[in-house]
Amino acid sequence: MYLKTLTIYGFGHFHDRTFTLDAGLNYLVGPNEAGKSTLTQFIVAILFGFPTKKHPELRYEPLDGSLFGGALTFVQAKTQYTVSRTAGPHGGTATLHDDTTDLTLPATQLPKLLTPMDQLLFTQVYVINEPRLGQVFSASKQALIERLRHVGAVGSDYWLQRAQQMDKQADTLYKPQGRNPQLNQQLRTYQELTDKLDKANAAYETYWQLRQEQQQRQRQQADLQTQLQQQRRVTTTLTQRVSQWSTYVAWQRLAQNQQAAVSGFSTTDATQLEQLRGQLTAAKQALTEDQQRIATAQQAAELPEFFQEYLPVAAQVDPLLTELPDVQLASQQQTALKTTRAELQRRATEIEAQFAQDGQMPRAFSLATTQQIDQLQQRLTSANQQRRQLQQTLNQLNERYQQLQPAKAHATNPLADKQVVWLTIGLAVLIGAMFLPGAMFKLVGALLGVAVGYYGVFLVDSSTPASRQLQALTDDIRDSQAQLREKGRLIDDLTNQLDVIGTAHGLGHVPVEQWSATQAAIGEWERLTQQLETTDTQLATVAQKVTDFRQQLATVLPKLATSDDATLWQQLATIVRLKTSLKSQESELATIATRLTHDQAAVTSAQQQVTTFLRTRNLQQVDDFYDRYQVQRERASQAKQQAALAAQLGPENLAALQQVSDLAALQAQLQQAQAKQQTVQAQLDHCTERLATLAGQLAHLTTSGTQATLRQRRQNLVTEMQTTTEKWLVDRLASQWIETTLAAASGDRLPQIIAQASEFYGKLTENRYTKIELTSTTLQVQKQTGEWRTVSQLSRGTAEQLDLAVKLAFAVVMQQQVAMPLIIDDGFVNFDERRRQAAYALLAEISHKIQVILLTADTTVIQLATGRVSQLSD
Amino acid sequence: MKFIHAADLHLDSPFLGLTNLPNSLLTVIRQSTFAAATKVFDRAISEHVDFVVLVGDLFDRSEQSVAAQAYLFEQFDRLRLANIPVFVIFGNHDFLADQHQPIAYPENVHVFGVTVETKTLTTAAGETVALSGFSYPQRWVEANPLAAFPNRAATDWHLGLLHGAIKSGSQDHYAPFTRADLLSKRYDYWALGHIHQHQILNTQPPVVYAGNTQGRSINETGAKGAYLVESDGTALVPHFFETTVIGWDIPEVMTTSAADLPAVGQALTQWVTTHATTLPTLTALSIQAPQLVPTDLHDLETDWLALYQRTHARLLKEHQRYFIRLNVALPESTLTAPQLDQQYWEAGAATVFTPENLRDLFGKLAQEPALAEWFEQSQTQTDLKRLTERQIATLMGKADSDVS
Repeated sequence: MYLKTLTIYGFGHFHDRTFTLDAGLNYLVGPNEAGKSTLTQFIVAILFGFPTKKHPELRYEPLDGSLFGGALTFVQAKTQYTVSRTAGPHGGTATLHDDTTDLTLPATQLPKLLTPMDQLLFTQVYVINEPRLGQVFSASKQALIERLRHVGAVGSDYWLQRAQQMDKQADTLYKPQGRNPQLNQQLRTYQELTDKLDKANAAYETYWQLRQEQQQRQRQQADLQTQLQQQRRVTTTLTQRVSQWSTYVAWQRLAQNQQAAVSGFSTTDATQLEQLRGQLTAAKQALTEDQQRIATAQQAAELPEFFQEYLPVAAQVDPLLTELPDVQLASQQQTALKTTRAELQRRATEIEAQFAQDGQMPRAFSLATTQQIDQLQQRLTSANQQRRQLQQTLNQLNERYQQLQPAKAHATNPLADKQVVWLTIGLAVLIGAMFLPGAMFKLVGALLGVAVGYYGVFLVDSSTPASRQLQALTDDIRDSQAQLREKGRLIDDLTNQLDVIGTAHGLGHVPVEQWSATQAAIGEWERLTQQLETTDTQLATVAQKVTDFRQQLATVLPKLATSDDATLWQQLATIVRLKTSLKSQESELATIATRLTHDQAAVTSAQQQVTTFLRTRNLQQVDDFYDRYQVQRERASQAKQQAALAAQLGPENLAALQQVSDLAALQAQLQQAQAKQQTVQAQLDHCTERLATLAGQLAHLTTSGTQATLRQRRQNLVTEMQTTTEKWLVDRLASQWIETTLAAASGDRLPQIIAQASEFYGKLTENRYTKIELTSTTLQVQKQTGEWRTVSQLSRGTAEQLDLAVKLAFAVVMQQQVAMPLIIDDGFVNFDERRRQAAYALLAEISHKIQVILLTADTTVIQLATGRVSQLSD
Repeated sequence: MKFIHAADLHLDSPFLGLTNLPNSLLTVIRQSTFAAATKVFDRAISEHVDFVVLVGDLFDRSEQSVAAQAYLFEQFDRLRLANIPVFVIFGNHDFLADQHQPIAYPENVHVFGVTVETKTLTTAAGETVALSGFSYPQRWVEANPLAAFPNRAATDWHLGLLHGAIKSGSQDHYAPFTRADLLSKRYDYWALGHIHQHQILNTQPPVVYAGNTQGRSINETGAKGAYLVESDGTALVPHFFETTVIGWDIPEVMTTSAADLPAVGQALTQWVTTHATTLPTLTALSIQAPQLVPTDLHDLETDWLALYQRTHARLLKEHQRYFIRLNVALPESTLTAPQLDQQYWEAGAATVFTPENLRDLFGKLAQEPALAEWFEQSQTQTDLKRLTERQIATLMGKADSDVS
């Protein structure tokens, strides 16, 4: 875009002025106060609107009252437009006219045509004057990027608008701090639903509590039902008992009168006593009658005194009397046995006197011993005979020897006495041979010696017959003597054996020859001894019998017991005889006596029975019995009555009633039971009622569906919220995406701008500075020498040159997207002459690309002839 | 022997991502988790099964639903009257840390404790069955629980009950296990829960995820139900049966040559009449309409659907189709803006679509758990970029039209 004409109706001190401009470099020259700043402000005001009336110094309203405002003709995209602006609301009344097509466009189209340029950007970047130099880009990379983004891409304003629109749309959906956006509302509703649901969820706890209570109550109900049934039974029973009270009282009265039941006074007992008493009376009567009769009879019989004694005890004595013959026999036997015993004793004593040694009788031989003794005696006899024979033989031999003895002395062989000589010679030869030379001679000599010796001893001696006969005789005598000695020893031995046996049997002092006789005596003695013992035994038996008898007799007939045997037997015999005679005569007396005995026994027995009967009942008199009997009968009748009452009451009730003190207590019990029954009934009713309520509550909780409805509603709301959040996020993301994309697109120009700026800065500073770099916070520049300087380290002029270089570079680089005229209002006042010239040269250079309008007081520019020159002053 | 294996009933949990639906349908939806579970129990009773195993996530503890609890009491009691024992383990949603433990379920319900235990029963036919399992004590169980399971018992059958996921190596919060771990126990059947898609991990012995009984979000499409498991004498054979009350569907992209929104409406009506379903089906349809201008596309995705659903309520009800959203499928194209180089847009995108920037932008909204959860999903971030691109594209179209 470039400005073609400026038509001023009235602005500041200008009125009705028109400036025509070239597309390239334009110099508007005028001294101070010629209106350079006014003209700059005019261009800005026509394009973007008048400042508000709050800032009248910026409005440049004409002082002379001419029409405020003016018009600009500019060319954009080969189309010429004319925009005019006069005083009016909201920055003035503007018109827009498309000169190319001669169409009047709505004024609102103007900003669109200018997009992305707005007043701020235009004044900050494209309108350059001294005060503003050094203020803008020295700030930071961020500031630069801000500007860049503004103009970063063609159509970016569209995207920026869309981004804003997205943000706005997003804000209707959700604002973190808002109340009305959709999601905020939904979140509130969600919270409300959650609260409601929490409340509904409380039903969950309630449900479990109710359930628990229901189970407890059901158990309780069952318990109570059982209790109630029980209690009802109790009440019924008690009611019954109250109605039975009068019966019980009657029963109780009877029970109080009741004495302990005594056995033995029944009707049977009374009958029995009657019988017993009848028997006694009858027996006594019979006894009396019989006694009278026997008295009469006795007077007639004149029986001895002891018989009379006998009569009463006849029953006891009679069995004894039957034994009497035996006892008498025993008594006789006793006497006989005593005699026999004395005889036996005498004979035994005789034998003992004969044979006993030291009062000890020898013992009898056993059969084996007897045989042994016989054998020994035989052998002893034969040994004695043999000895006697041997003695005779010896005597004969001794006689013959005496006969032979004289001849013997003559008939002695001389040689025979020479035995020693012979022996000596043999020995000498033997020894002499030892001295012979040669072994052979020695041996022959020795043998010769031995032979001589032998001859001398044996052959010479037995050479005579006489000596031999004598010798034989001597030998015989010796033999006989030896045999005799041997027999003597045998006899001694046998005798010894017999002595041993004798001593063992206590016969040491008896010669052996008497032994057999002794044996016979011993046998006799032993027999006697045995007979004695037998007799003693028999004697003891009979004596015992007799003694027993007497003792028995003494118990019944004490008078008889003292008399001696003979008298006793006699008296007893008399009794037997009398008895027999009485019996045989069938005398009345005997009969009476028998009857008397019977009567006596009957009386005693009857009396005893009665006594026993009374004693067992601890009574003295029969009348006592009847008294008691009467009492018992009375008692029995009462007991029967009582039992009838007890039956009427029943055992259980009776036992229970007995525990009760009086009717009032019983009635109190009944009332208590009824009260308890009512309580249980009330409890049960309450429990049942509660269960019904619980069932209702549970059913309500279960079927209300509130919880589920709320839950599903909340869940659905969550879905809606998610959708809203999604929309919101999409809007916000779209906006962010647009922004970042624009930033990326603009950011891409930055290196170009910096490169361009570096070039321009080199030109402006005559290559003293060669490079510009952007840091995150500021700009820094590199000197030719390689040193780096930050903006703050630069001189004012150099800093202004840096800013100019960047602004020019920005305008040049961005002209592809947006081409706006650069308006420089006396911007180079702090430049030295050379740098100012360099700046002019640079402006001339860039004016090939963009329109440059330089407002200056420096008239030298006219000589430069690089652009169109207009004078501000008329 | 015959039993039912079900899991993840998620009773009374709300459905996700629903807006603009008729109230009558909302009522059906609210009842759907119950209706689906009821189908399971109905089947148990009609089949006279020996027992029912429920492998965790029967309800969502955090929802504190009274209805869910009351429903369970009621159904357990129903099974009790039919003499059917129920074996229950609790999973990550209904973990067993309950102050309400004193209130016992009916005596036919056997709840496993927080450590592995084995329960046995004898079926009516006299077969003995051992069941081993445990309940979650809290929301996460990070250790492999298989070590605690006993070896196969000397019973006729031995079942393992486990709520968890196969070990993946990271983020294993749900009783991580391996298939080999399960098989090594030599059980006759592994009843698994937690994964909502029913599947058979191993055929013999069966290792089975029952899946959930009713899908609750658009991510849970397909058949939902439970398994009826029967013995063929030597092995247990699972048969799947459906319990779904409300279907979820992501159909094929609908392409239309419609040039304006009324034409799109006609096309959609046409589509609905040809895509009737047997169950009320919540549908997320993608539409490709290349003739539409960007503004129409934008409307199509936002407010247009609600209007359409209101005006076509009868038609939709008749064909049981309910749209929860329409996605506009754009033909793949690069973003071009004549005035701005493509590279600057890409550079901008690189700055804007970073997690940090997104989080900054999201800002305070992150304090809202319901939104934070949605925001943290990777899908959300992808969607945001896609939608923003669409927005920019729409603006470009306008810019182009403005320029032209």
